[in-house]
Amino acid sequence: MITPSIGSTGSTEKSFLRRHFFTTDHKAIGRGYFFLSLAAVLVGAWLSLLMRIHLVWPRATLPFLDEIKPEDYLAHLTMHGTLMVFFVLSTVPQAGFGTFFLPLQLGASNMAFPRLTAIGYWTALTSFLVLMAAFVVPGGPSGAGWTQYPPLSALASAGPGQGLGTDLWLISIGLFCLSSLMSAVGFVATTTRHRAPGMTWLRMPLTCWSWFVTSILILLAFGILLAAVVLLMLDRHAGTSFFIPGGLLISGKAINHSGGSPLMWQHLFWFFGHPEVYIAILPAMGVTSHLLSVFARKPVFGYKAMVGATLAIGALGFMVWGHHMFVSGMNPYAGFAFSTLTTAIAVPSAIKTFNWVATLYGGRIRYATPLLFSAGFVSLFITGGLTGPILAQPALDVYLHDTYFVVAHFHLIMAMAGVFAIFSATYFWFPKMFGRMMNERLGRWHFWVTLFGAYTTFMPMHLLGIAGHPRRYSELSGVQYVAAMAPLQKFVTVAAIVTLLGQIIFLVNLFRSMLNGPVADANPWECSTLEWNSQISSEGFSNLQPHVNHGPYEYNISGAEKDFVMQDAPAS
Amino acid sequence: MSRALRLALLLIVVGCIYLFLAHPYWFPSGVSASSASIDYQFRIAFWIFGALFVVGHLILIFVLSKKPQTGSKISHGSWRLEVTWTLAVTIIFFWFNISGERLWSKIMPSEKKAGDIEVEVTGAQFQWYFRYPGADGVFGRTDVQKFAKPDEGNPLGIDPGDPSGRDDILSTSMVVPAGHTVQLRLRAHDVIHSLFIPAMRFKQDTVPGMEIHSHFTPTQIGNYEIACAELCGMGHYRMRAVVRVLSEEEFQRWIKAQETATASH
Amino acid sequence: MPIISDRVEVERKPKLGGGGPGKIPHRRGYGGGDDGDHGNSGDFHSREQRMRRYRIGMTLCIVSVTAVFVLLTMVYVFRMGKGRFDEDTRRWVRDWIPLTLPYLQLWINSLVLLLSSLTLELARRSMARKEEFAAMGIVPPRFGRDLPWLGITVFLGFCFLAGQVLVWNILRAQGAFLASNPSRSLFYILTGTHAVHLVGGLVVLLYAVAGRLLAVRFESQRIAVEVTGWYWHYLAFLWFGIFALVHFARG
Repeated sequence: MITPSIGSTGSTEKSFLRRHFFTTDHKAIGRGYFFLSLAAVLVGAWLSLLMRIHLVWPRATLPFLDEIKPEDYLAHLTMHGTLMVFFVLSTVPQAGFGTFFLPLQLGASNMAFPRLTAIGYWTALTSFLVLMAAFVVPGGPSGAGWTQYPPLSALASAGPGQGLGTDLWLISIGLFCLSSLMSAVGFVATTTRHRAPGMTWLRMPLTCWSWFVTSILILLAFGILLAAVVLLMLDRHAGTSFFIPGGLLISGKAINHSGGSPLMWQHLFWFFGHPEVYIAILPAMGVTSHLLSVFARKPVFGYKAMVGATLAIGALGFMVWGHHMFVSGMNPYAGFAFSTLTTAIAVPSAIKTFNWVATLYGGRIRYATPLLFSAGFVSLFITGGLTGPILAQPALDVYLHDTYFVVAHFHLIMAMAGVFAIFSATYFWFPKMFGRMMNERLGRWHFWVTLFGAYTTFMPMHLLGIAGHPRRYSELSGVQYVAAMAPLQKFVTVAAIVTLLGQIIFLVNLFRSMLNGPVADANPWECSTLEWNSQISSEGFSNLQPHVNHGPYEYNISGAEKDFVMQDAPAS
Repeated sequence: MSRALRLALLLIVVGCIYLFLAHPYWFPSGVSASSASIDYQFRIAFWIFGALFVVGHLILIFVLSKKPQTGSKISHGSWRLEVTWTLAVTIIFFWFNISGERLWSKIMPSEKKAGDIEVEVTGAQFQWYFRYPGADGVFGRTDVQKFAKPDEGNPLGIDPGDPSGRDDILSTSMVVPAGHTVQLRLRAHDVIHSLFIPAMRFKQDTVPGMEIHSHFTPTQIGNYEIACAELCGMGHYRMRAVVRVLSEEEFQRWIKAQETATASH
Repeated sequence: MPIISDRVEVERKPKLGGGGPGKIPHRRGYGGGDDGDHGNSGDFHSREQRMRRYRIGMTLCIVSVTAVFVLLTMVYVFRMGKGRFDEDTRRWVRDWIPLTLPYLQLWINSLVLLLSSLTLELARRSMARKEEFAAMGIVPPRFGRDLPWLGITVFLGFCFLAGQVLVWNILRAQGAFLASNPSRSLFYILTGTHAVHLVGGLVVLLYAVAGRLLAVRFESQRIAVEVTGWYWHYLAFLWFGIFALVHFARG
């Protein structure tokens, strides 16, 4: 039974163009996002490799490449952050897997606004291409980091890449905001209006819950980033002074602006930026909850607590942005409030962790690759999450802010945990998306390399941060105590190279399985949710109206012939 | 596979414990009045969260080694457990939070006392400048767009027409006496920088278009490095300076020498 | 008989876990898809489904647009209150130069927008009536007062935009340019962003007006007018909000 998979974009009568470019099929669009993120992650990972190498061997030249200069390092850093945060972590777990699986898991025949969803995808792709174009313009890509703090990002004279490269960055992110908004409208409307009969709110899989809450965050946050980006663009080209203060002298040139506030950008950016962190991680949490239940053959422990925690994280996510600004010059008394609120958001995150562990407890665990990556997610989430309450304290953050401690924190909890969830979702849903199974043996090797790689790369960074190593340094030679940390930095670079080489296993597995992996059964993981319904045809649920009679996680029922009950199985 | 996963997690825990106990790099020894209490707070954090990390992973390993339950025992959840662990983490996190807030309220407020040393710090791409008000105790007016002449020793654009600016002392390293609170005025005239003195446990952004006040109290004589901690452009990584903490007498001597040098200039 | 279901069935309240209420029958009908109109669910393309879907979508758009305008209002208020840091006096000084608003023109524009909101409401109602007749299989009788409300709305919409351009021209003639002062910048930003959103609404209305030429189904026209109606009223409301802001917070 491979119908719901390869070539499922439509019947053969449709032309090539119609199937691949003008399609409004959510499955084709979901796959499109998957490949978009794959391209972005490859570029982003390559850039991180160049950065690590330049950092510890600044004079090294790689074959076919010129020597990396400090300004190239900053450009790589900016692009690495932008690609990974926007085009990978906020794209594939939400827009990628979400567009593909939300309608299937809800029993809907398509996304609520198929054309809007399709336009959203093409906008995201355009946005990606605009961002990539920065590599070929004079001056190269922006070097102001993914946070683009003005005045560095507002004035072309502030450095190479601050001219056209930054303009392209702003245009690209503006387009990305539009794309995310379009996609999110479809998600919320689908979830509220197109659940199959019987699919009550509390029968939705936790993946759907997290996509839903994430979409609401997107609707509130991305509009604000778009407005901020437009204001910064006006500062750059229309002479306004929102973010550029008066009396500046840059490279010996007087800047004719007056009265803007660089802090205002930071407030606007982080008011978007902190919800953005949850936009990246909530779908990953949803996937993990889902998979732990499937592979432990046990219902999710505390489903309602999980839903509540998801909602609490979504709400609190908008109240903690100031913890990025403890040393920014913001009123230091605001630190008290933001510190407390940030501590508060650690509580629902901890609740989720406890529930994941309790879901595994006493389960008939099947150690397939998706489970391995989900368990890895839990481990990384614990490790990365526990440094959060430390950074939430102004007194400690004053020292640790903008050091490698922060780099370690967010790479473990957002990047690595997020990527582990993406990997587990890929291994899990690959049979549905491409009709074939991925290779388990390669998957396991990939897991071991990535798990140990993640820890060996990012754990030592805590020590660098504790010793006061500031982040975003392109070389170690500038400051003596930083230069003394070269041995550990070299260790990290080697670990990073090994980890990235390990990802070749994944790529080989992915493409080989896509072409000639074993053909998948209708429900290879014996999963109870609707996307594995054996009757869905290539048209999704458009010809079939499932009727939901069961909760999403009814596993391990003794006495039944199988150890799970499909959600649309007849009521007993 | 279960055993392999448990072993891997155990290896990771043991490796991390080893890494942090061996810690090839750690805080530079603290030499400011508040560094002892900050270090103490970090030590508490380190042990609490280190313990949670270890316990969390041990529980995960234990759970993976548990025998499967049979049908009727399968649990859907338990509000009692939910409430228990929610309360437990809330108590731990907020106890830690409150201790942190108290520390912050101790070290953050800044009141000027007699005997404080006033220093103006200016971040510029890619150099730190430190200015002392001189004998009159008043900083001269600056206008960087009009008067800045880095080649003639006036990178900050001190107004030559302002008498209070004539005795201002300009230095490329921060020279301060031990035991006195240093009151900083932080400024920047191009992009955002951040004054980071690890040994003093001090960091504060310098933001163009505003003046930020902050303070620290050095307690030990010596030279300590300053790094820039906010991305400011190409030379960010080499925007280094030094804090020279002198004894009271040496500092007075240094000030005198600087004042005569400025006067003769 | 599976054990879980046995157990769940005797539960009075849904248990915490397992993804909800197990086998308990639903008091309020089915889940999302049909909101209780039993049986007649599911058809993705049914008229009622489409209309509800678009209403939700429009509500979401309005939420998102509101977030943007709340943000711009906050920027306005903070910028006006805080001013800039003066290096000489080392104080924050107010640098907000109040704007001399062309009130007459602004009131005319407001009136035009209000009128267009009214005509769009009339258009919406007349279409709803036609739809009801059509649903009953009756050719709708011609109403004497059934003016081409939609066309009038589009016309008034363009009038409003032209009026806004006029306002900007008057301000420019005064020497109040986008970059000359934060009060100017923010006035142009607020009114400009509002105008951009209005253009979006106009495009949809034009699509509905040109429906016959483009062979758009009546049903799609009807949905377009319905949801744009909500949006249009919201924009009118927003406009008065902006007007109130720039009037009462002139500085």
